[in-house]
Amino acid sequence: MTDAFLEVRGATKDFPGVRALDDVSMRLEPGQIHALLGENGAGKSTLIKILTGVYQPDSGEVRLYGERQRFQTPRDAIAAGIGVVHQERNLINRFSVGENILLENLPTKSGLVDYAAIFEQAQPWLDALDLHVDPRTPVLQLSAAQMQLVEIAKALSLQTKILLMDEPTGSITPHETEVLFNLLRKLRDDGVSIVFVSHKLEEVFALCDRVTVLRDGRNACESRPLAGLRRADIVKLMIGRDEQIGRFGEKVIHRDRPALVLQGVATGRGHRDINLTLNKGEIVGLYGLIGSGRTELAKAIIGAERLTAGHIEVSGRRANIRNVTEALRRYRIGYVSEDRKREGLILIHTVLRNVGITIWDRVARVLGFTTERIESASALPYIKRLEVRTPSVHQTVGNLSGGNQQKVSVAKWLAAEAEILIIDEPTIGIDIKTKTYLHELIWGLAADGAAILLISSDMPEMIALADRIVVMNDFAVVGEVQNTRDYDEVSHRIMAHIHDPSEDAVPAPTAAAAIA
Amino acid sequence: MRGAWENLRRTEWFGLLLIAIVGALILAAVKQSFLSTFNVYVMLLGFSISIMVSMSQMVIIAIGQMNLSVGAIGGLVAISFAGFMEVWGLPIPLAILAGLAIGVLCGFLNGILTVITGITAFIITLATLSIFKGINLGITEAQPFYEVPAVVKWFGNASIGPIPYLVILPILAAIAMWYLMNRAVIGRQMLAVGGNAHAAGLSGISVGRTVVAAHAISGGLAAIAGMLVVARLQIGQPTIGDDWLIISFAAPVIGGAVLTGGHVSVIGTCLGVIIVTLVSNALVLLAIDPFFVQLLLGALILGAVGLNRYREVKAEAHRGRTQEAHA
Amino acid sequence: MTNHRRPVAILFSSNQFGLLLVVIGFVLAFTFGTQGFASKFNLFTLGRVVAIDVMIGYAMMVVLVTGGLNLAVGAIGVASVMFGGWLMEVVGLHPLIAVPVTIGFGASLGWINGYASVRSGVHSFIITLATMSIFFGAMIVLTGAQPFRALPQEFIQFGKMRVFGIVSPLLFVTLAVTVLLVYVFSYSSFGRKILAAGASPAAAELSGVPVGRMFIYGHAISGALACVAGLMLTMRNGAALPSMAGQLGADWLLPSFLAPVLGGTLLTGGVVSVIGTLLGAVLVTIINNGLLLLQIGEFWVQMFLGLILLAAVVLDRLRSVLAERRRATA
Repeated sequence: MTDAFLEVRGATKDFPGVRALDDVSMRLEPGQIHALLGENGAGKSTLIKILTGVYQPDSGEVRLYGERQRFQTPRDAIAAGIGVVHQERNLINRFSVGENILLENLPTKSGLVDYAAIFEQAQPWLDALDLHVDPRTPVLQLSAAQMQLVEIAKALSLQTKILLMDEPTGSITPHETEVLFNLLRKLRDDGVSIVFVSHKLEEVFALCDRVTVLRDGRNACESRPLAGLRRADIVKLMIGRDEQIGRFGEKVIHRDRPALVLQGVATGRGHRDINLTLNKGEIVGLYGLIGSGRTELAKAIIGAERLTAGHIEVSGRRANIRNVTEALRRYRIGYVSEDRKREGLILIHTVLRNVGITIWDRVARVLGFTTERIESASALPYIKRLEVRTPSVHQTVGNLSGGNQQKVSVAKWLAAEAEILIIDEPTIGIDIKTKTYLHELIWGLAADGAAILLISSDMPEMIALADRIVVMNDFAVVGEVQNTRDYDEVSHRIMAHIHDPSEDAVPAPTAAAAIA
Repeated sequence: MRGAWENLRRTEWFGLLLIAIVGALILAAVKQSFLSTFNVYVMLLGFSISIMVSMSQMVIIAIGQMNLSVGAIGGLVAISFAGFMEVWGLPIPLAILAGLAIGVLCGFLNGILTVITGITAFIITLATLSIFKGINLGITEAQPFYEVPAVVKWFGNASIGPIPYLVILPILAAIAMWYLMNRAVIGRQMLAVGGNAHAAGLSGISVGRTVVAAHAISGGLAAIAGMLVVARLQIGQPTIGDDWLIISFAAPVIGGAVLTGGHVSVIGTCLGVIIVTLVSNALVLLAIDPFFVQLLLGALILGAVGLNRYREVKAEAHRGRTQEAHA
Repeated sequence: MTNHRRPVAILFSSNQFGLLLVVIGFVLAFTFGTQGFASKFNLFTLGRVVAIDVMIGYAMMVVLVTGGLNLAVGAIGVASVMFGGWLMEVVGLHPLIAVPVTIGFGASLGWINGYASVRSGVHSFIITLATMSIFFGAMIVLTGAQPFRALPQEFIQFGKMRVFGIVSPLLFVTLAVTVLLVYVFSYSSFGRKILAAGASPAAAELSGVPVGRMFIYGHAISGALACVAGLMLTMRNGAALPSMAGQLGADWLLPSFLAPVLGGTLLTGGVVSVIGTLLGAVLVTIINNGLLLLQIGEFWVQMFLGLILLAAVVLDRLRSVLAERRRATA
C-alpha cells in the first residue's frame, strides 16, 4: 500500500449542543478522486473545514504525507499544499477575476503588485475551465455560475497536490460540469488527489474512484472503492435504510380552487414571463440549480421584490402585494426561508418571541399591551403541535438544534394561520428523523387544505412530496413534470429540462445518458 | 491622447474633478481675491491638514471599520511633540520620531483591541478617543505649549509664492497611500479584508494582522497631521484634533469610499478635500456667515452618500439587465 | 434580551444585579472616602445630573436596539432646546404649550435621521454624522450663537426645586420615562417589533414586521428623548445655551454610549435593558462626581470614563465567551 497523501484519523468535533463529527476517518491516496458523501448535516463540510484549518478537531488527527499536522488557520493548510473550493462564495467582489484567482500569492515586481503578471498568470486557468471572461473584469459583474468557476480556478491556481472541492457544481450547468470533470480527470492522471463533495450521485459515479460516506457525523463507510457499489448501496449508506419514496396518506387537490396564480410575472431581478398555478391542497415543487432564481421568485410573491410585469392572483382575485406585512395579513401567504439563521429566525430571541412575531398585532390589547401570557396563549399550541424540543419557551432559539429551529420557523406561520405557504429548502442541515417528521407535517398541512410551494434541491424530497414539479433555469420556467413518484424517470425528466430548456417533457436518450 | 481622455472620463472621480474645476473657475470669475497669493496660500494650508486627516480615516474605512479617535490621536501627538521640545528639550528630529511613534502606538492599540476582543472598532475607538483626549488634558491641564522652536514655526508658515512648504508632506502621503491601496500587497489585503473578511481569511490572509496594520498606519497619519498643525499654529494646542471628525469622514465619502469597506479612492478623497476647501473658502470670500460651513459640510456628506448609493443601485439594475441579455 | 420573567427574578438573575452591586460599592466608597459626597447639596446636584445623563443614555439606547447609531443626540438636544427657548422667549408661548411643541420638534429631527437612513439604505452612522453637522450648523446660523436667557420663571423653577430637601423633580421626569420605556420594551407589541427588527432585519421583515418604519420610530423617539434631556439641562442651567453640549453636541456622545453599553444593551441591536441603562448612567455620574471630590483633577476624569467603557465592553465580551464555553462543555 502506498503512503496516503492525506489522512484523517478519529476526528471528533463538537459544537454547542451538537456533535458534528464523531470519530471520523478518511484516507486519500495519490491520483485518486475520492467522493465524500452524506446527507445535509452529516458532517461533510465540517470535515472539509478541519482539513483546511478553519476548525480544529477536538480529538483525532490529520496526517499529511504521514506527518501529523495541526492547522491553526487556513493559511497553514494552504502553505502545506492543500487547495480548496469552499461551499460558500469566497470572492472579493470589487477585485478583478485575475486578482481573486491569485489572491493567495499575488505576483510582485520590486515590492509592488504586478497586474500584468496577474492577468497573464490567471488566463490559463480560465482557459482550462472554458470560462470566457477577461481576467480584468471585476467579479461583481459575473453571473453565479461564472463566480463558481472563478472559485475553482482560484483553487487550481495553487497547483497543489491535494484539492478539496465542496459542492463545486452547485450552480454551474451540465456543460460546464463536463469541462470541469475532464480537467479533474487529467489532474488525477498527473497524480493529484481530489476530495469531491457532492449530493448529486450521478456526478460521483461519473468521476470518482473511492468513496467515504458520513451519516450523522460518523463513518458509514471509509475510503471504499466505488467500483462494485450501486447507487442504491450508496443511498443506503447515506440514510441508513433503503431509499424509499415516502408515501403519505391520501389528500384532495382542489383543482377548481386555485390559491395562487402567477401570470406573466417578471421582476427587477431578471425573472421573465413566469406562469404558475398553485391549487388548494396541492404541493407544487419548484426545482432548479442554485442561482436559477427560485428564492428570488418566492420573495417576489410575498412582496419583498417588485414585479415589473404580469400579475398575481390569490384565491381567484387580483392581488397587489406591496410588502410582506400585506402578504401575511391580507393574503395569508407565509414564507419559510432557506436561510434559517439569517432570514427565518431571530437567533438571539426566545422560542416564544420567534413564534409570536406574526401574531403580536392580532393578540395585543389596548395600547398594544401584550404579556408573555397573552403571547403564549396563541403561540403555545403550535409549539406543542410541532413537538419543538426545548427546555422552555424562554430558551434562546440559537441554542436549539437545526431540526428544532426549523420547527420554530414553521410554527410561526402556522400561528399566523397562513393558507399559502412557500417553503424554501426545509430540510437543509437537518437530521433524518426530523426530516421525515417535517415531510409528514408538510404533507399534512396540504391535506388540511393549505396550498404549498416547495422549493428544494433535494431530489428525493421533491419526488416524495410534490404533486407537480416546475423546473426553473436562469430566472425562467423551463418546464413542468407530473410526479409519478418513480425516482429515475422523474429525476431524468427534470434534469433534461435544465440541460436543454427547448426540449419538452420527454428527454432524448443522449441527454439522459450525459447526466447518468 | 483620445484614449487617455476616455480613460479619464471613465474614472469614478471624473465628476468630482469637474465639480472642483468648475467651482474654482466660478469663484475666480466672481471674486478676484480668490486667486490672490494670500488666499491660495490659506486654502493650501487648510487643504494640507485635511488631506492627512482624511487619509488617516480612509485606511480604516478601507478595512470596513471606523476610527473615532483620529482627532484624539492627532491632539495627543501634537501636545507631546510640542511638550518634548519645550519641557524635555528634545532635538526636533527626535521629537518628530517620538510623536510619530506615539501615533503609531495609539493606532496599534486600537487595532489590537478590536482584533483581540472582537468588539466593533466604533466602540473601541470611542473609548480610546476619550482615553487619549483625557491623557492630553491631564498632562496639559488645557494649557498650550508655547515654546515651539523657530525652525518648526518657519516650516509651518514659509512658502514659495502662494505654495506653503507644509503642502509637501500631504502630497507625499497621498502618493504613498495611492501606492499602498493600489499596488502594495498589504494594501490589497486591507481592501480584501474590508470587502469580505471571511473570504480573505480563507485565502490565507491574516485578517488580524491586516487590521492592526491599518490602524497603525491610521495612527501614524493622524500623528503627522497633529504635528503639522503645531507647525502651522506655532503652539501645541490641546484642542488640536477636536474638529477633525466630520472632515475625516466627509472627504473619503465624497470621494466614493464604500463605508462597509473594500473600496476607497485616494484621488477621490483628495478631490473631496479640495471641494470642501473650495466651499469653505467661498463662504469666507462671499462674506457669508462662517457657521454655514458646518451646515454645508453635513449637506455635502449627505449628497455624496446619496449619490454613491444611487450609483450602486443603478449598477445593480444594470447588472440584472446584462444577465438577462446574457441568458 | 429583555427579561420577561417576574421583576424580582430579573434583578437577581442578570448582570443588572452585578451593576447594582458596583453602584452600591462606589456609593459606599465615596461616602466614606470623600468629603461631602453624602452632603445634601451634593446629593441634590448629583440627582439632577443623573436625571439628565440617564435621559441622554435612553436617547441613544432606543436607536441602538434597532442596530443603528445616533451621533446627533447632542446636536438634536441643543437644536431643539434653542427652538424651545425661542418659542418661550421671543414668541412668548407658555411653557405648557412650548414644551410639547419642542419635544415634537426634537422627534421630527430624529425622524429625519431615520427616514434618510431607511430610504437611502445608508447606515445611520454616516447619516447622523452629517445631520449632526447640519442641525448644529443651522442652529448656530439661526441663533447667531446667542443664548436665550430670559426664559419664563415657571420653566426655570422646575430645575431649582427641591423635594424633601434633596430630591430634584427632574428625577421624577426620568422615572416616568423609565416606566414608559419598560412598558414599551417588555409589555407592548410595538416594543417587540422594534427589538425583532433590530435583532434581525431580514427575518423580521419576512415575518411581516415593517422594519423600515420601526427604525424610523426608533430614531424619532431618540430625538424626542434627546430633546427632553436638553430641556432638563436648560432648566438646570437657567438658560438655553448653544454651547451646552459642546461643539456639534459632541460632548453628549460618550455618556450616551456609556450608559446603555454598561447596562448590557447590544450595539448589534435587538437586545435592550432599560434598567441597565439607568444603572449605567448612575454609575458613570457617581464615578464622575466622586473623582472630582477626590480632587483627581477634572481633566483626568475623561480618561477614566474611557477606561471604564473599555473595561465594561471587554468584561462583557469575556463573559459571553465564557458562557459559550460552558455551554459547549455542558
